Amino acid sequence: MSRRKVLMRQALAKAGTSSLFLVAAASAVIVLFIIFYIFQNSIPFFESRGIVEFLTSSHWYPSHEPAEFGALAIFTGSLLVTIGAVFVAAPLGIVSAVCLSDIVNFSVRQWIKPVTEILAAIPSVAYGFFALVVLAPFMQAHGGYFLDAIWKLIAVPCALLLALILATPMVAKVEDKKKRRLYMTVIFLLISAFLLFLIQCVSSILVTIQISSGTNALNVSLVLAVMSLPTVVSVSEDSLQSVGRELREGSYALGATRAETMLKVIIPAASSGILAAVLLGIMRALGETMIVWMASGNAAKIPSPIFNYLEPVRTLTATIAGDMGEADHVTGSDRYHVLFAMGFSLLLFSFVLNLVSEKIAARQRGKLRGK
Amino acid sequence: MKQHTRKLFDLSFSALGMASIAFMVLALIVVLVPIFVRGTTAFVFKSTVEHRLIQLEKFGHGDETVVRAEYEKALDARKPAWAMLDQFKKELRSMPAKDRREYRQAYQEVAEIFEELVGPRPGEHRSPIVRHQYGQARLDRAEVRIHELLYEEVWNYEDGKSYKTYTPRKEMFKGTSLEKFFDYVPEHINDMLRPKWTFYWRFIFDKSVDSHMFGGILPEIVGTIYLTIGAMLFALPFGILTAIYLAEYAKEGVILSIIRSCISTLAGVPSIVFGLVGLAFFINYIHVSPNKSVLAGALTLGLLVLPTIIRTSEEAIKAVPHAYKEAAMGLGAGRWFTVVKVILPASLPGIMTGVVLSMGRAAGETAPIIFTAAVSVGRMLNPIQALSEPTPALSWNIYNLCTEHEAVDEIRHVQYGMVVVLIGIVIALNLVAIIIRARLQKKMKR
Repeated sequence: MSRRKVLMRQALAKAGTSSLFLVAAASAVIVLFIIFYIFQNSIPFFESRGIVEFLTSSHWYPSHEPAEFGALAIFTGSLLVTIGAVFVAAPLGIVSAVCLSDIVNFSVRQWIKPVTEILAAIPSVAYGFFALVVLAPFMQAHGGYFLDAIWKLIAVPCALLLALILATPMVAKVEDKKKRRLYMTVIFLLISAFLLFLIQCVSSILVTIQISSGTNALNVSLVLAVMSLPTVVSVSEDSLQSVGRELREGSYALGATRAETMLKVIIPAASSGILAAVLLGIMRALGETMIVWMASGNAAKIPSPIFNYLEPVRTLTATIAGDMGEADHVTGSDRYHVLFAMGFSLLLFSFVLNLVSEKIAARQRGKLRGK
Repeated sequence: MKQHTRKLFDLSFSALGMASIAFMVLALIVVLVPIFVRGTTAFVFKSTVEHRLIQLEKFGHGDETVVRAEYEKALDARKPAWAMLDQFKKELRSMPAKDRREYRQAYQEVAEIFEELVGPRPGEHRSPIVRHQYGQARLDRAEVRIHELLYEEVWNYEDGKSYKTYTPRKEMFKGTSLEKFFDYVPEHINDMLRPKWTFYWRFIFDKSVDSHMFGGILPEIVGTIYLTIGAMLFALPFGILTAIYLAEYAKEGVILSIIRSCISTLAGVPSIVFGLVGLAFFINYIHVSPNKSVLAGALTLGLLVLPTIIRTSEEAIKAVPHAYKEAAMGLGAGRWFTVVKVILPASLPGIMTGVVLSMGRAAGETAPIIFTAAVSVGRMLNPIQALSEPTPALSWNIYNLCTEHEAVDEIRHVQYGMVVVLIGIVIALNLVAIIIRARLQKKMKR
């Protein structure tokens, strides 16, 4: 090969590499461009209306004369449904992940994996359809019993566990084994009967509640929770798996039960990964459009009292989706640009959440590598 | 803590875990079962003779002589009912003025509902709206109409609460010539409508008539396919080249970590924001098309699935055994040659898995195409038109039909059918991905 040919080849290789770099950089720059572009398009709104009204007023009348653009109620709506969804999805998802990674055997896991994959694959509009067409009428018709069922599903296991924890120290001083078992059973039954009575009292109130509209924050929160559940489960399962065997074996060797091993050793070791999983779940719930647009009722007012999940709410994503159809005809107006301001707030939230979860994940990787 | 409480605690801990997994499975069942059960009614249902007539006249399906003969028989059964209505109309004229006013309105209501049930009389002036030209095509909808015909819905208000009661219309017309009409219709409904179990597989191959009152969902399916493939056409080259760079060429450093965190941020951008960018940038700013178009929607969806494709392709490329690369290099192949001829073929199944999964994601997304590509009523496009025209799509039309359609309850079966088809497409794509992955794992083991 002549010298010139070699040089040619080297130059070609360099050109190829740099053009590859350009493509990669372009893919990366897209996100910066999106952030910049959304921000640029929201500037006209802030210039003409300022930021104070947007963040502190809850009067949302974009089509009135004069228009009002107070988005506080909408921010509250987004916050409410996200909190509701995480409140359901995080405990369920983490416990499921623990169970999947350490309790059930391999063949069960092979069966459960497709379940989470299908849950993750179902399009959000299908979830929204379910929430609007199946769940909402059901809630409206059997509101009290629905709430009662949820309440019992949560409260009864908790009550039994609490009774167990309370009963244990009471009998700790009894020496005789048979007597102790007897006392233990009696005390446990007494406490749990009392707690179950309390639960029944609450549920007799719950049953009488009438849900006036099936499209409300509770409905949306539940469906959002189911939608973000697979994210929480798979990410936290990964982080539980990445905690090495040594920690588990060490803990078992010291005589700890599986529950103790998980609660005191493995979950603390994987805590940052689990936190990242929850943050990812929050991001999915916050950025979801179709479910909230279809089933949240789209009422731009703050529920009273604020934690009343049985009232309809309106979220940022649903407002963008719902108002853009009308606002696009008046391109350049405040009404058009306010939606970009909302999009920018959404971006900001998800950007911060993403950054935090990435930092956490990096720290965990470093910590595990350090060991 | 004593030994047995610890054991009990351990057991309850496991039970809690099992319960939450059971809940997850339950959630999947609760969501999917009602949708699939009701979704089958779009395909399998008791169709009336009107359905077969629509199929013949609007789509050209079915045997003309058979359907016409059947329709004639149905008309014969309807004639006595129409005769009764006409007779009452005559009777109405001879009534005293007070009764006439009272009965006329009730009569008109009955006549209208009956026309909705079986369609207008032959030879009568036909309305341009297709749903007024035919009777009920499905027996389940026809039964709702029959109930309306037989009972009048009355709303009562008491103590601030409202509830409805049904009063039989037969009593209203007691003593008039129309009274026997209310016995005749339910008795002869099978002769008038001739219901028959039908497997309407053409639901996915027919276009819709009169905004989904009749017919199938082909334009939506085609629109979804266009959008999905279009998104892949944009995202694939970009995604795979980026993945090759990240996996094979890039050196660890500041720039690489910036690129990586940019890509993971892109993955976290809410889908509605992609919709905003698609509208404001692709359509309003650089004008890829004068208005909404499949092209703009595909570009937007391409941005959406880009991070997924990059990530899965990069993992697939990195999973190729190092020996392959070393062997190729050892034989004197250049870097690019190695990538194209050795590494890409070896990582193809892995890349395909990611691509198929992203296709499922693109097919199901709604928010990015609301402003960029989707319309509720549209015709089927050919690929050239797709560059400049909007399209109906499954995901958007599910939303549209169950919230904005003027007869939401009438077309529940179409909505369920669409959801089932969309979920079916997505799950099928996921299955393909699972199969590819399983075969890959088998190959790796060998």
